[in-house]
Amino acid sequence: MVIPLISLILLCPLAAFAIFGLLSLAKLRFPRQDYLSTAAMLIGLVCSLLLLQEVVPEPAPHTVEWISLGSVTFSMGFYLDSVTAIMLIVVTLVSSLVHIFSIGYMHGDARYPRFFAFLSLFSFSMLFLVVSDNLLGIYIGWELVGLCSYLLIGFWFEKDSAANACKKAFLTTRVGDIGMFIGMMMLFTKFRTLSLYGEGGIFALAASLTTGDMVWLSIAGVLIFCGAIGKSAQVPLHTWLPDAMEGPTPVSALIHAATMVAAGVYLTARMFPILTETSSLVIAYVGGITALIAATIAIVRFDIKRVLAYSTISQLGYMMLGIGAGSYVAGLFHLTTHAFFKALLFLGSGSVIHAFHAMHAHHSGDEHASHDSGHEHGDHGVADGVAGAPQSGETTLSGSDIPADQDMRNMGGLRRKMPITFATMLIATLSISGVPFIFSGFWSKDAILGGVLERAMEWGSVHHYILFGIALFAAGITAFYMFRLIFMTFFGEPRNQEMHDMAHESPKVMTVPLIVLALLSFPVVNILWFNDAYVTPPAQPHLHAPQHAGIIDDSIVTETQQREKVAGAPQSGETTLFAFGFSKAPTSFFGISEAVAAEEGEHDTHAEEGHHSPAHKIAMVLSICVAGLGILFSWLFYHKRTLSAESVATSFRPLYNLFWHKYYFDEFYNGVLVALTVWKARLFAQFDGSVVDGIVNGVGRLTRDILAAFIGFFDNRVVDGTVNRVAQVTWAVGGRIRRIQTGAIQTYLFVVLAGIVLLILIFRAL
Amino acid sequence: MRAELLYRIQIQQILPGIVTHFQCVGQYRQNPARKVYKKMLLSLMIFVPLLGMIAVLLLPRESEELIKRVTLAFTLIPLVLAVVLFISYDRSAAGTQYVQGPVPWIEAFNIQYHIGIDGLSVTLLLLTALLGPICVIASWRNIEKGIKAYMALFLLLETGMLGFFAALDLFLFYVFFELTLLPMYFLIGVWGGPRREYAAIKFFLYTLFGSVLMLVAMIAVYLNSGTPDARTFDIPTLVALASTEGHALANLDFQIWVFLGFFIGFAVKVPIFPFHTWLPDAHVEAPTAISVILAGVLLKMGTYGLVRINMAMFPQGLDFFCNGLGTWGNSLALLGFINIVYGSFCALAQTDFKKLVAYSSIGHMGFVILGLSARNSAGITGAILQMFNHGVISAMLFLLVGVIYDRAHHREINGFGGLGSRMPIYTGITTLAFMASLGLPGLSGFVGEALSLLGAYDKFKMLTVLSTIGIVVGAAYFLWTLQRVFLGTLNPKYESLPEINGREILTLVPLGILTIVLGVWPSFAIDMFSESVSNLLDTLQVSL
Repeated sequence: MVIPLISLILLCPLAAFAIFGLLSLAKLRFPRQDYLSTAAMLIGLVCSLLLLQEVVPEPAPHTVEWISLGSVTFSMGFYLDSVTAIMLIVVTLVSSLVHIFSIGYMHGDARYPRFFAFLSLFSFSMLFLVVSDNLLGIYIGWELVGLCSYLLIGFWFEKDSAANACKKAFLTTRVGDIGMFIGMMMLFTKFRTLSLYGEGGIFALAASLTTGDMVWLSIAGVLIFCGAIGKSAQVPLHTWLPDAMEGPTPVSALIHAATMVAAGVYLTARMFPILTETSSLVIAYVGGITALIAATIAIVRFDIKRVLAYSTISQLGYMMLGIGAGSYVAGLFHLTTHAFFKALLFLGSGSVIHAFHAMHAHHSGDEHASHDSGHEHGDHGVADGVAGAPQSGETTLSGSDIPADQDMRNMGGLRRKMPITFATMLIATLSISGVPFIFSGFWSKDAILGGVLERAMEWGSVHHYILFGIALFAAGITAFYMFRLIFMTFFGEPRNQEMHDMAHESPKVMTVPLIVLALLSFPVVNILWFNDAYVTPPAQPHLHAPQHAGIIDDSIVTETQQREKVAGAPQSGETTLFAFGFSKAPTSFFGISEAVAAEEGEHDTHAEEGHHSPAHKIAMVLSICVAGLGILFSWLFYHKRTLSAESVATSFRPLYNLFWHKYYFDEFYNGVLVALTVWKARLFAQFDGSVVDGIVNGVGRLTRDILAAFIGFFDNRVVDGTVNRVAQVTWAVGGRIRRIQTGAIQTYLFVVLAGIVLLILIFRAL
Repeated sequence: MRAELLYRIQIQQILPGIVTHFQCVGQYRQNPARKVYKKMLLSLMIFVPLLGMIAVLLLPRESEELIKRVTLAFTLIPLVLAVVLFISYDRSAAGTQYVQGPVPWIEAFNIQYHIGIDGLSVTLLLLTALLGPICVIASWRNIEKGIKAYMALFLLLETGMLGFFAALDLFLFYVFFELTLLPMYFLIGVWGGPRREYAAIKFFLYTLFGSVLMLVAMIAVYLNSGTPDARTFDIPTLVALASTEGHALANLDFQIWVFLGFFIGFAVKVPIFPFHTWLPDAHVEAPTAISVILAGVLLKMGTYGLVRINMAMFPQGLDFFCNGLGTWGNSLALLGFINIVYGSFCALAQTDFKKLVAYSSIGHMGFVILGLSARNSAGITGAILQMFNHGVISAMLFLLVGVIYDRAHHREINGFGGLGSRMPIYTGITTLAFMASLGLPGLSGFVGEALSLLGAYDKFKMLTVLSTIGIVVGAAYFLWTLQRVFLGTLNPKYESLPEINGREILTLVPLGILTIVLGVWPSFAIDMFSESVSNLLDTLQVSL
């Protein structure tokens, strides 16, 4: 059943796109592209749920030969393990909900069918990426989702900012992709294959590498990770993601929060078996630094979507940190929980933006229609003084970049107007902030924090203590800025009365997806992850505690496995209670057969390897504390107003400026890298025109002059009339084509033909 | 499980089944009764356009519609024949097929009429034959003067190109090579843009310069091929002799010089830096259809020559230029690298749409050189695939430039803006072509470039890694162009610009389909020439 189901999952959205493409070419339009695409996605969802029970331990990939070059073959195929199965559900579920939401949100857009066709193409590419069993297939899906991202960010391409943003997104991620491609070339040259699984696959072959190859393997691992840096918007290639918010909000929810940007995390997790200490540490640091930098930038943003965008970057950093620190399950677990609550936050913000939309009549379907009202914030926003930018010049500068309906300084008090949106967004915020026990985000974030601390304690590694500190600090900031968003948007008094009056709750087609996602923000997926029988982290043969460094020994692997098994036994009270309490409901929800459910019940007793060790308890207590502090400060600053954000901003001016200017990444890239590239291009072109072509023309002219002088000499001195003719014929090649234009072409043609015939005859005669 | 098994069996049987079917057809054709037909097929294909030219010349000048239709018919026949060849070509057999001759032609010099095809030729023949009718359709409305002469010259050009890819005699090869030069010269020089005369002469002299060197090298090969009464121009014979130990042709010094002679001749055609400056001028001035032929087929004549003559006939000379230059390392790969990076950066700086596409051609042909210089199966397969793909994609790009030029009468990239909202279908097709050209996986451009790079990385790591800069820059100039032409607010000047019409879509659709098909199922083309590639690799191996 595996192959037909996966094929169906892939083919449905592809067909939905193909129908649109073919009809457009014939200048026709399918009247209900929206239903078509949504139905395709729902079929995919059903198939994904069916696939959940098709998962077997250590599955074999299903492959077909794609290109065969004598000794080398490239194959394409599917690989279905538990991670694939869960990812399929996440992608199809979020995608389905976003499709449904878009029916309401994009209603009335001039390019409404095209939007759904692009969503379908995206879903196909993303699913292809997820099910591929080899690096080439992953790379193909990888680039195709990039294309869809480009098309959808630039969906309202009339807007210059959108046109810039889509180009930036494509190019920035391509820089990372080149790194990934070089990594692939390294692996291919060594192993003669790009397949990952099976006996001849990269993982099996890499396992037998010796110590001497570790540097090489680390470089290859980091290069592959470069692709993830680009796609998952990690520092330093993160700058495209905030700009990507120029796309319609459902796109931001699906592509730039829940699925595509998480593909980098997915890839890194897939490459888990070939990660070495060095490459793991690089990944962990990139993740940790990203988590911190993005969180600090998010504090000072006013654009509701930008806050969420930086929040996404920060959370992706968390996932990378988790995988880099060896917490495979935690990283992927956070990916799934994040997909649901972040999609919810984006769709919720979309609902808010949609509510403000009414004032711009019905549009050509764009959030950006509000551009001209951007100046309004000058009256309301700054006066309101919510951590207003310290220099008025900057405020205007950045203020004008924020469309009025996305500017949180225009919002406030919306909880009464939009109760469902408020309630669902609040649940997501509680989840992302790490409010304990009843929200999924708490569990996944805690798993990462615990994993990092565990590694730090186990290895006595300073790096991991530092990383734990960074992650903990970022967790506090996350709670702070997320509640800042909630307080500014939904609490307090309306700051812009005119806009507030127009606001309204969104239609059912939009609120139902919000409610579903809110339900998913409770820990319903935990059962899948907290289950040794379902998800088993792959072994990392080349990663071992520093004291063992340099020794490749099978006993270490077995030792690790044993430790995991032993560790599985005892359970801290709340975890058991919790994991067990939710085990039945989602099981039946996902339609897993009774036998599997029973088996899972058994495993529940020793679920989730992590939660027993002291590291996890410490991490849990600390994370609850920082989340509490974050929320408390947020409440004091933005609701209670006992503390003034403005005065804090003024007293920490340099730091504030750094955050406000997003660490000057964009300035550096635009001012240095882009400028340098364009300058170099001009230089090359000039060199081409003046030097290379100059030499060519010079030689040409010289030859002509010498020839002319020679002919002139010959003409004057040796012969007269007849040779004159010859010279003229020579010149005809050069400058007398004008004659041809007068209609003598046929003569020339015949001359050519006659010449050929003559030539043949002459040779014949010889 | 059962269902799954059944499904797998079906998939595994259907695809080879289709291939086997074609092979059966091929075997049927080997039936003696069919032999005459089979022998004539290739010659028929080559000379049908020449017949067409005579037919066109006999028509009165005034009946323009008739001339166009006749031309179209005479370009469609080779296309049909090329498809027949492509299908019935025996993919599993090595060596040349559909051989005709050798028939003595000029006996005094032992010059023969000898044609035949292997996997590489048949792929390029298909490309040439496909672009023929497309170019005729593309010229339907926008050639205003002398349509009769234009079409006649075009048909002559097609005969030259088809003959070139099928010739098995070095002299014949050279004659066909030169045969493309003259019509091309007139087509650019008469029907071109404002600076057509300059461009045409530049093209002509440049190519002539290259082919003179080639001629000298060719005569040298002929003179060294044996005793005065056993000299030959026959390519298969020469290839065999050049690998025979102790033969004059196998001499290293001789091979180095002759290699260089041929190489410069072909390098001008490809074009390889620094012999490339004719290309932007010729492209900018040439009419749309001629640009298509120029980029689609003529450039491939250069790389085809490199494979057919330089690599197969002078493997030791090749080895010298790949390894023998000490610190310079692989000079051929270096040239490929320069082409990629130099062409891409130059393209980034262009503001003329057509010139940008022309420079991008230089960059993309660099991948062919890089792949060939790797001398392994991935590299050479990638290079050949890239030849075909570049032919298809650059043809699309030039047709698309033509569409907008016919409407706006200029090609200044910065002079457009926002056309995406006015011409959605045109924008969609352009996006497809751009994405294919910048190497988006799933479209054909990717497979060729990726295989070339994979092959090249095996041999020279640093150069290959540096070459990938070209991929990023390639994406940059295409996306920037896309933005400046199609995105943003609509330039008020073009509020009533008409959308791409049916005739133009007709020229683009076959190419678009090929781009997608070859991106998804590259084996469709690769299987055609995999035997030829392994043959070539054998030759390279034996002589080292």
